[in-house]
Amino acid sequence: MISLLLILISSLFFVGIIVKVKAKIAARKMPSILQPVYDVIRLFKKGAVYSQTTSVIFKIAPLAYFSSVALAVLFIPIGSNEGLLSFEGDFVFFAYLLGIGKFMTIISAMDTGSGFEGMGANREALYSMLIEPAFFILVGSLALFTNNVSFHDLFLHLKLDTNLYYIIGIASVYVLIYIAMVENSRMPIDDPKTHLELTMVHEVMILDNSGFDLGLIHIASWLKFSIYGALISNFIISNSWAFYWQILAFGGTQLVFSAIVGILEAFRARNKMGKNPQWIIMLSAISIVVFLTALIITKKIILN
Amino acid sequence: MTYLFILLYAITLIYFALSERVKKFVWLLSIQGFMLFGIVFFSLNKIDLFDFIFILTETILIKSIIVPWFLNKVRKHNKLKRIQETSVPVFFSIIVVVISLIFSFLLSNSLNSDNIHTKYFNVAFASILFGIYFIIIHKNIFSHLVGYLIIENGIFLFSLAVGSVMPMMVNLAILLDVLMGVLVLGVFINRIGDAFESTKIDKLSKLKD
Repeated sequence: MISLLLILISSLFFVGIIVKVKAKIAARKMPSILQPVYDVIRLFKKGAVYSQTTSVIFKIAPLAYFSSVALAVLFIPIGSNEGLLSFEGDFVFFAYLLGIGKFMTIISAMDTGSGFEGMGANREALYSMLIEPAFFILVGSLALFTNNVSFHDLFLHLKLDTNLYYIIGIASVYVLIYIAMVENSRMPIDDPKTHLELTMVHEVMILDNSGFDLGLIHIASWLKFSIYGALISNFIISNSWAFYWQILAFGGTQLVFSAIVGILEAFRARNKMGKNPQWIIMLSAISIVVFLTALIITKKIILN
Repeated sequence: MTYLFILLYAITLIYFALSERVKKFVWLLSIQGFMLFGIVFFSLNKIDLFDFIFILTETILIKSIIVPWFLNKVRKHNKLKRIQETSVPVFFSIIVVVISLIFSFLLSNSLNSDNIHTKYFNVAFASILFGIYFIIIHKNIFSHLVGYLIIENGIFLFSLAVGSVMPMMVNLAILLDVLMGVLVLGVFINRIGDAFESTKIDKLSKLKD
């Protein structure tokens, strides 16, 4: 219950911090940290407008997307605070819950019948497909390392007792940050500020959504960021810490993570569209190095 | 701690497969030098001053500073900015480097010899395989030089893997060889660049008496 609350609270500020950091770096006047929340409240007050070519899929997709992400939040533990739901193999369920949400946005984009949206949906599907092995190899090697197959037990038994842990920790955090970026279609893959439909990925898919639906999509995106931030914080938080230290560490991690995203977005240019697949497959390659490390630690590969 | 640097070295190989800019190759070679220093430094049981200075010169000074500095000079002289001439898509290169890493880890797992330190052997073997592959897929002689240096780093690790007898002398020999090789090849590339105004190997194959 506590982890759910923490993730919900941190998600409110996450995008606000990103925007603030970007504005500061660009020497613009910084907006309020709650500006994205105000925007969504404004969107909620509006009604939605639907194109005549769309069917019922387009109407239910934002809600399905939001609810799949909201359900995925329930699985995330923070430190020793268990997630609301937990069972063996829940990380597979978690990954495919996010997958269902993505599938719904993809078919709703195709439902509009716009060529641009079809192209965006195409790209989003490709990138999600390529990022999947990275996530599974990463979590799989953690499962191998700790001999547990649910998120809660897995992070509970991650211990800082070998030197090799550092490589697992560093590489996992690196990969998770970029998985979050790909899942949310942020900078190295897609530029949320781009104005050209031809080069958009996620933004073009939600062009036809308006009002309430758009607000839901925005909230789902905050939640996704917060989920990955919580996963990253689990690498840093030790269970033996006191409760308030764990919460502080969680807050600090989310703050640093959002600042990193802001800095990355301010300084990095978007990859060329053609270079995205190879860039994403690189994350899987790094996950395989993590997997080899886990094999060495568990003495499945014996080296002298 | 040695493992940390060994695995970071493996990650630099993945980045070699990913990157397409000549400048990045030089940077990665420099980083590999630091990784090699880490690997050697933490694998020493006891450190005396002579060994320490020798390792410092060999890895940090030569591999991370002098050779990359010289390569950068060659790069600027020939106006090499971005290489778009790999004959294999980068996507496949990454898969190849991953397969070579997995293969060499499994191979070193099955080598149960007391004479070979398999923890250096695995990444050394992967590095040599990848260096050869790197030379094959690039069509520019500058990248061939980079591939040669990757192989050389692999051989350096090999000497650690098998070196129970006088590894320092072996390393000294390899080191001088490589330094001379890089200098000569660098001058060679400059001359070719001046004569043909390009460093692509296609032009070289058209040479006749």
